[in-house]
Amino acid sequence: MLVDLLYTCFAVFSVLGALGLIIFRHPMNGAMSFLITLISIAGLYALLSAKLLFALQLIVYAGAIMSMIVFIIMFLNIQPEELPAEKTKVIYLVGGAVAVLPVAFFLIKVIKRLPNMPISFASEGFGGVKEVGLIFFTEWLVPFEIVSILLLVALVGAVVLAGKREKNK
Amino acid sequence: MSLLDTVITIIRVLFAAFIPVCFLAVMVWMERRGCGFIQDRSGPNRANVFGFRLMGIVQNLADGLKLAFKEDVIPAHIKYKFYYVLAPVIVFTIAIVSFASVPFADALVLGGKSYLMQGIPTDLGILWFMAIVGFAVYGIILAGWSSHNKYGMLGGLRAAAQVISYEIPLGLALISLLIVYGTVNLTGIVQYQGQLLFGFIPMWGVVLQPLGAIIFIVAAFAEANRVPFDLVEGESEIVAGFHIEYSGMKFAMFFMGEYVAMFTSSAIIVSLYFGGFQIPWLSTAFMVEHTRLVVILLMIALPLLAYLVVGWIRKNNRNRFLPRESDPDVFEATWYIRLLWAAVILLELVLLIFLIIGAGGAAARILAACLQVATFLVKVTFMCFVYVWVRWTLPRFRYDQLQRLGWQTLIPLSLLNIFITGAIVVVLS
Repeated sequence: MLVDLLYTCFAVFSVLGALGLIIFRHPMNGAMSFLITLISIAGLYALLSAKLLFALQLIVYAGAIMSMIVFIIMFLNIQPEELPAEKTKVIYLVGGAVAVLPVAFFLIKVIKRLPNMPISFASEGFGGVKEVGLIFFTEWLVPFEIVSILLLVALVGAVVLAGKREKNK
Repeated sequence: MSLLDTVITIIRVLFAAFIPVCFLAVMVWMERRGCGFIQDRSGPNRANVFGFRLMGIVQNLADGLKLAFKEDVIPAHIKYKFYYVLAPVIVFTIAIVSFASVPFADALVLGGKSYLMQGIPTDLGILWFMAIVGFAVYGIILAGWSSHNKYGMLGGLRAAAQVISYEIPLGLALISLLIVYGTVNLTGIVQYQGQLLFGFIPMWGVVLQPLGAIIFIVAAFAEANRVPFDLVEGESEIVAGFHIEYSGMKFAMFFMGEYVAMFTSSAIIVSLYFGGFQIPWLSTAFMVEHTRLVVILLMIALPLLAYLVVGWIRKNNRNRFLPRESDPDVFEATWYIRLLWAAVILLELVLLIFLIIGAGGAAARILAACLQVATFLVKVTFMCFVYVWVRWTLPRFRYDQLQRLGWQTLIPLSLLNIFITGAIVVVLS
């Protein structure tokens, strides 16, 4: 019962937050509503008893990445009159909604057709730090390391790009 | 849920919610009197209720009343009132919620069930702390941004940049610690520290990870925006930083948030590096087994301790310059001493009843938990005092020095620490 309520709340808030990100005009409002989405998704992970994912979602996405974005918004200190006039925004929104509508109907139909399977709960320790770590460093070691190299490439790229601009001055 | 479950849950939540708030009074008092002590003056000691000053704690009450009854002003130039009001709320709430995963006693085994004594009984432990603390920066950023004031904005920028950059050495110091402990669960971490190294040194984190402890404590000071890292409110340059436009209760929220954050980070430092709730050389199992011995020792130690405290109260509550017939200080002191002895007698009675009725398993465990709570609070109080001590001893860093210390000293050192720790752990296992 409580779980259903929580699930509904998180789901509604995550969708509303995503909507807010598109609709709000000021970047700070958009960033804060996106933050609500990120936190709600963390809540959904917690409901799925994926503890580590819950913590990582909060630490990495909601805590670090979003605070960086909000920091930059504050740093630029954008005034409302400096924002571009979004005249076509309403048309795009309505058009996008119309275009997505059939897909949504299709998805609802698919979900309704799903066979009624008995629900099995996650085993004890599922999604804990130890279990996820063991899977990462035994079964998925190579993909894990490749992803870390990808991140390293992005990091070096950022440093190189930032350094170049300095030279041009 | 049985009745016991409910009671334990209520105790946990009450402890996790009220202890940080109660410590606010202790810490503000400690800050002011400690500052006075270090600067060789008295500090606030005049506010009183019926002549009782409680060493200056009553001053907090006066300050609190003043802030609560101040007019709640929102300056006219503020455009985003929602964020302006939200910011102090975020800072204060985050500070309290982040305490929820800190264990204040060993896992309590009652009725065949083990209860983790944390506000939220999760095994996420330190990850919960990291996850929640990351949100504090939003409060600072929103306050600085929505204040729409140059000083506020500068303070917010400084604070945010500082908190974001010091989170890295904090996390890296934590990694080397987690390699040693092999768990993120704070109760597990503190239980690990109950062991003995070479049979006689308590295996505290600070013994196993001296470098990590220094890095973590420095980074925690920076995270709490305390001196020597309080450029955020550098009075001489940017007046008061991000709380310049705040007054009344909204300022009080920032103020309380800062002190609660200090308490929480002290609790985390104590749990990670100073053995948390563990009493050195007295493990939970030992206390449960030899309850009678522990109780008798306590019954002997309590009056002795009270005697020392009474001597201290007498020494400090007399007018050294102007001997008077009926000194109000002496009158105050006699009452404190009476109260203290009454408390001691009450405690002795409780312990005596405990000794006579006999220490069953559950009672012994509860007693051990109470002792551990007391130990934890004493350690945290001392760590809070270290915060005060550092604040009134060290000067402030310059901004570039602060960032250089974070990025060029602490991060390489913590990486080195991870490397060394990893090597030692691999060699020893």
